[in-house]
Amino acid sequence: MDVDQATQIDLFALAPELAVLGASLLVLLIELFLHGPRKRFVNPIAVLGVLVAFGFVVALWLDGAQRSSFGQMFVVDDYALAFKGFFLAVALFVLLISYRYFSEIRTFQGEYYFLMLAAFLGMMLMPSARDLVMLFIALELVSVPGFIMAGLRKFDLRSNEGAMKFFLFGVLSAAVLLFGLSIVYGFTGTTTLEGVAASLSAGEANPLLLAATLFVIAGFGFKVSAVPFHFWAPDTYEGAPIPVTAFLAVASKAAGFAGLLQVTFVAFEPLADVWAPVLGVVAILTMTLGNLTALTQTNMVRLLAYSSVAHAGYVLVPFAVVQPGDAALNADAFSAVLVYLFAYGAMNIGAFAVVIAVARRHPGRRVSDYAGLGQRSPGLAVALTTFLVSLGGIPPLVGFVAKLAVFFVAVEAGTTLGIVLAAAVAINTVISLVYYLRVARVVWMEEAPEPEPEPVQPGLALGFTVGGLAVVTVALFVLAPLLWGAADQAVLIASG
Amino acid sequence: MTEYYESYTTVFALLAAGILLVAVAFTASRLVRPDRSYGGKLSTYECGIDPVGQGWSQTHIRYYLFAFLFVIFDVETLFIFPWAVVLGEAGELQPFMLGVMLVFLFFVTLTLPYEYKKGVLKWA
Amino acid sequence: MSVPAGYYLILAAALFSIGAVGVLIRRSVIVMFMCVELMLNSVNLTLVTFARIQANLDGQVLAFFVIVVAAAEVVVGLALVVNLFRLRASTDADGVGALRA
Repeated sequence: MDVDQATQIDLFALAPELAVLGASLLVLLIELFLHGPRKRFVNPIAVLGVLVAFGFVVALWLDGAQRSSFGQMFVVDDYALAFKGFFLAVALFVLLISYRYFSEIRTFQGEYYFLMLAAFLGMMLMPSARDLVMLFIALELVSVPGFIMAGLRKFDLRSNEGAMKFFLFGVLSAAVLLFGLSIVYGFTGTTTLEGVAASLSAGEANPLLLAATLFVIAGFGFKVSAVPFHFWAPDTYEGAPIPVTAFLAVASKAAGFAGLLQVTFVAFEPLADVWAPVLGVVAILTMTLGNLTALTQTNMVRLLAYSSVAHAGYVLVPFAVVQPGDAALNADAFSAVLVYLFAYGAMNIGAFAVVIAVARRHPGRRVSDYAGLGQRSPGLAVALTTFLVSLGGIPPLVGFVAKLAVFFVAVEAGTTLGIVLAAAVAINTVISLVYYLRVARVVWMEEAPEPEPEPVQPGLALGFTVGGLAVVTVALFVLAPLLWGAADQAVLIASG
Repeated sequence: MTEYYESYTTVFALLAAGILLVAVAFTASRLVRPDRSYGGKLSTYECGIDPVGQGWSQTHIRYYLFAFLFVIFDVETLFIFPWAVVLGEAGELQPFMLGVMLVFLFFVTLTLPYEYKKGVLKWA
Repeated sequence: MSVPAGYYLILAAALFSIGAVGVLIRRSVIVMFMCVELMLNSVNLTLVTFARIQANLDGQVLAFFVIVVAAAEVVVGLALVVNLFRLRASTDADGVGALRA
C-alpha cells in the first residue's frame, strides 16, 4: 500500500466513530467515581455520545462528498452512512431499554455501557471498511464485547453457559474466517475488496480459492446465526441480559450482514455462481428450521431467538440470486437486504423492549405470563401485537414491505433457485404466523391467572422506546417508497 | 536435498559432541566412584523439599488477574518493536509515526489508573 | 538453500486441521480453547508465508492484528472459564446443560 496515502487521515470522516470512542472512554472513567445507585448516570453520557455521533453522520450526509481515510481502507459513502445511521438509531434504543434493567440489577454498569459502545464502534467501522484487515478488526470489535456482555450476569450459570457457547463458536468461526482470508490474500496478493474483485475476475477459479470464499462466508454466517452455525443463538439469547439479547439479535446480526454484503457483493462478486447457490440452500434451511423450532417454544425469549434465526434466513435470500456481472439484478438484491434489515431492526427491538417491560413482573419470561396482558396493560399489549404481526409480515406494517422486497427480488431473478426461494419465503411466512399469532392470542384472549398480577409499568425510557418503535413500524409501511428509495441510494456493488 | 542437509552439518556436529560429552562424563564417573545406593539416595530431590504429592500443583487463583495484565502489556510490545525498528529510517514521516504511537500508548496507559482504581492491582 | 514456501503452507494447513479436530472432539473448554489458538497461529503462518510469496507486507500486517485479537480473546475466554469454574467447579463442556431446548 502507498505509504503517503495511508497517512492521510480525514478527521471529519472519522468524527462519528471518534464521538462513540470518546463517549465509551468517558463512561468507563466517570463510572469509577460514582457510587451505588448513582452509577446509573453513565447511561445518559452514553446516550449523549450516540446523539453527537448521529449529528456527525447527518453532517457527513449533508456534506455529500465521498471521503476516505487511511488510504481507502476506510471509506465514507452513502452505503456506509446509511448503515451508520441505522446502527446509531439501534444503539440509542438499546441504551434506552438498558437503563431501567441495569440500574435495577446494579452490576457492572460502567463496563456494560463501555462494552456496548465499543461494540457499536466496531459496527460503525464495518460498513466503512473496504479492506480485509479493517473488516476483520471491525468484526472482532463487535464480537469480543458481545462475549463479555452475554456473560454479564455472572452469578447465573445459564448466562455463563450461553456466553461460553457464544465464545467458543465465535473464536472457531473467526479462525475459519481468517484462514479463508489468508488464502484469498495469498492468491490475489491484495487485501482491498476492489483489488480482490479485480484479481478474481482476471484469473480462472482455483478450487482452493473457492473453498476459501466459502470459509469467509461461513465466518460471517456465524455472526448472522445462519443454519448450521446457529447453535449458539438460542442458548446465548436466553442466558444473556435481555437488552444484550436485543443487541445480539438486531445490531450484531445487522453488522454481520453489512460485512457479508461487502464481501459478497464487492470482493467475491466474480465467483457468485459458486457461493450464491450455497447461500440459497443455507437461506432455506435457516428460515425453515428457525420457524419450525420456534413453533414449540414456551419461553418468550427463546421464541424470539428462533424467530430471529428464521429472519436471518429471509435476509439471506437476496444473496442467493446474485449473478456475476448482472449489475441491475445485484443492485436490486442489495437494496432488498437493506430494506429487510432496517425493517427487522425496528420491529425486533420493539418486541424485546416489551419483553423487558413484562419481565420486570414475570422474571420467568414464559409465554403464559402474557395471559391477560390486554386487560392489564393495553398500551404494551397493542405495541407487542404490532411488533409480532409485523414480524409475521402482515400488512399494513413494515414487516410486510420487507417480506415483499425479498420475495420480489427472488422472483425477479427468474432462475429455478429464485422461484424455489420465493416459494420457501411464502411457506415460511405462513408457518411463522402460527406462533406469532399464538402469542397474540395469549395476550388478548386468555384470562390472567388468579390472583391477577399488578399492571406492568414500563417507565419512561422503555415506554418511549416501545411507543416510538410501534409508530415507526406503522409509519415505515406508509413511507415504504421512502425506505425503498433510501436503500436504492445506498447500494454498493463491484464497479467491475 | 543433500545440499539442504549439508547446511545443517554444524548443528548435527554440535549435537553429537554434546551427547558424547555427557555420555563420557557420566560413564567415567560411574567407573571410578563407589556405589552404595539405597532408597533415600535414589529419590529425586530439589532444594530440600520432600518429593511428595503429584506432579500437578495448584497456583492461587489470584494470579490470573496478573496473567491477564501481562497478556495486555505483552501484546503491546508487538506493535512497539516493529515501530521502533522502522522509526529511524522514516525520514519526514517521523513526526506522524511518533504521533500515532503516542495515541496508542495513551490508550494503553489509560488502563493502568483504571485498574488501580478498580483495585485489581491490590494483593488481597 | 532454503525451505520451499509450499512446505510452510502444508504445515499451516496441517496445524489448522489438528486444531479444528481438537475443537470438535475434546470436551475440556480449556483444551478446546488451546486448539482454537493453534488454528489462529496456523493462519499467521499462512499469512506470513503468502506475504513472502507475494512480496508485499499486507499479510504481515494482518498477522499482527490476528495476534492482538487472539490475545484479547484469550483474556475474555479465560475470564469466562474462571467464572464457569467458580459456579460449577468443572471446566467440562459436556456437563454444561442448564440450557436445553
